[in-house]
Amino acid sequence: MSEFKVHHRDGEGFSVIELKGYLDAHTAPDLESTFQRLLGDRKFNIVVNCKDLTYISSAGLGVFMAYIEDVRKNKGDIKLSNMSPKVYNVFDLLGFPILYEIYKDEQEAINKFRQHGKKI
Amino acid sequence: MGIRSRSSRNKPSSDLIPLFEYSNVVNSSVDLKFILSTVLLTVMGKMLVSRGMVLLRKEGHLFGVVAAKGVGEQIWRRTIGIQKLGKSMVSLHNVKKSLGEDYDFFLHYEMRLLVPILTRAGVVGVLGIGEKFSRKKFSASDRKLIKSLVNLSASAIEKAVIVDQLKVANRSLDTKYQELNTLFELSKEFNLVLDSQKVVRLLTFSLLGQIGVNRYAVCLFQSGFMRIVASKMEERAELHQAVQTLAAVQNPMLTEDLARRREFQDVAAHLARATVRAVIPMQVQNQTKGLMLLGEKLHGGSYTKGDLEFLYSLGNLAIISIENARLFQETLEKQRMQEELKIAREIQQGLLPQHLPEIEGFDLAAVNISSKEVGGDYYDVMDLPGKEFVLAIGDVSGKGTPAALLMANVQAALRALAPMEYTMPEATARMNDITYSNTRGDKFITLFWGILNAERRDLRYVNAGHNLPFLIRADKTVERLSDGGIILGMMKTVTPYEEGRTTLRPGDTMFLFTDGVSEAMNDHGEDFTEERLEGVLRKLAGFRASDIVREVQKEIEAYAGGTPQSDDMTMVVLRVL
Repeated sequence: MSEFKVHHRDGEGFSVIELKGYLDAHTAPDLESTFQRLLGDRKFNIVVNCKDLTYISSAGLGVFMAYIEDVRKNKGDIKLSNMSPKVYNVFDLLGFPILYEIYKDEQEAINKFRQHGKKI
Repeated sequence: MGIRSRSSRNKPSSDLIPLFEYSNVVNSSVDLKFILSTVLLTVMGKMLVSRGMVLLRKEGHLFGVVAAKGVGEQIWRRTIGIQKLGKSMVSLHNVKKSLGEDYDFFLHYEMRLLVPILTRAGVVGVLGIGEKFSRKKFSASDRKLIKSLVNLSASAIEKAVIVDQLKVANRSLDTKYQELNTLFELSKEFNLVLDSQKVVRLLTFSLLGQIGVNRYAVCLFQSGFMRIVASKMEERAELHQAVQTLAAVQNPMLTEDLARRREFQDVAAHLARATVRAVIPMQVQNQTKGLMLLGEKLHGGSYTKGDLEFLYSLGNLAIISIENARLFQETLEKQRMQEELKIAREIQQGLLPQHLPEIEGFDLAAVNISSKEVGGDYYDVMDLPGKEFVLAIGDVSGKGTPAALLMANVQAALRALAPMEYTMPEATARMNDITYSNTRGDKFITLFWGILNAERRDLRYVNAGHNLPFLIRADKTVERLSDGGIILGMMKTVTPYEEGRTTLRPGDTMFLFTDGVSEAMNDHGEDFTEERLEGVLRKLAGFRASDIVREVQKEIEAYAGGTPQSDDMTMVVLRVL
């Protein structure tokens, strides 16, 4: 069985989800329940740190798609960071860079939320 | 001379050094855009020209604009057909009349010189150059320099084009690999999941991820109806109707293609309003068992043939798992039913007497053959004080555990009431009222019960709607024991039950049975009938009780000829010695 872990921590005005290991059809429900929890708590500024994500399949990408609309409707966003080239390649192949903001590191993504917050 | 020769040596070298640099720059790159833009800018710089463009051959006579300067952005990615393009330059100076459509495009953008880009493969493209700032024509040496610049870059362009093609091929390979991976992963995962809701969930994740749609509906064909089981689109009534018609779709189709088929024209209009772009049937052995309706691709672009093929595979994979899940549920249900029937049979068998009491002066035998479905047959023989015996036979409506439990109730009531100081009609009325209040009139029991005084050979009985027992006298005359009243459990007792009385004589045989005996069926669906039973019993008069039971059973088996019986069969035989 493939190893996958989701860890989530809250900052000031944002939440970070850290992914580790294999995100595929089998493990997608784990990430799904994390999103459900965050949305339930009305936390809509979400950074997904992919530093330790070794593999992502289209079912895994589907989870991001399933929640992005709700998040954006609530004036939040799902921003991605720290992707390995291999994982980025999958995102790129399936056309995700058009739909999501992808940053080199987590702090950059968090700063974006902060700037946005100031504007409002 | 010296000066001349120096200057003539110097002149080419001053041209050659930048040429060499240019060649180095151009040939060290495989970036087509960079190369073309360098060629274009170098030519424009050398010739002092403010307009220029590069077109590359796409296929056949079609050429696409890949780089352009000074002519406006709208020209980018334009494709034009050029029929007559030779290997030599074409001057468009002072052209008065149209040279044909081929050149009208270049004339429109004020190109003055067309330079073919030649490689070993022939003409791969064309460089268009506008008017010189000086408004002069291109001189012979201008042309020579332009030709050199283009020739020097030709192999780099060729290389870069191949690299670009490889990149495209690589990317489409990557995409295919990704698609296969998704299918492979899901087939693995689907096999682990035996819950169709979870299969649908995984399916939608893959749709979202792989194709990037977020408007979709998944329908499954359930009990003759296409049902939308998961959706992220507005479910108007017309959508529910549309999917019924779409059940006939055999191949993945774009909404625009459906619109061209007469039978789907109306539906396609609904779909277009609901922003459905593609319809994918989910099939098991060419039968459409489900549908996926898909909206716009978020990344833009329309559904490609490859997308549709992938979706079709994905859908078929999912529907097989959903079918398997359904079959698994059915099997589980069947197992549960069988388990329940086993319990019912155990209850029933537990209620029947393990041993029949010895009755002096009488010969007694009984049998209960329970059918596959377990009917509610019941018989009992009880010892009462004073050489009296209760003989009872009954049949509860319905089958399985509920029937078995009700039967247990009746037995308990009978066993409790029989020894008490009630008359038989009173006791029967009590049983009726108890049954009625327990079942509220939706379950019935036919019951015949009698009390035999073995010393006086006297029988009192009440028949509550049960098949009339036979009393075959020693002289073979036949009586039926019919006194009693209404079936138990139908309504509260209004009319009291009647008690029948008869005196038994040596050689008499009493035969109690349930309808499973008289209604045993042959393969034409015909009942054994009470008439036939009576005939058999007359023949057997005088036989031992256990032989009568066995012979009747044999006769029925011969009649039924192996037809499986749906009801229990119960017989109780009492013979007077």
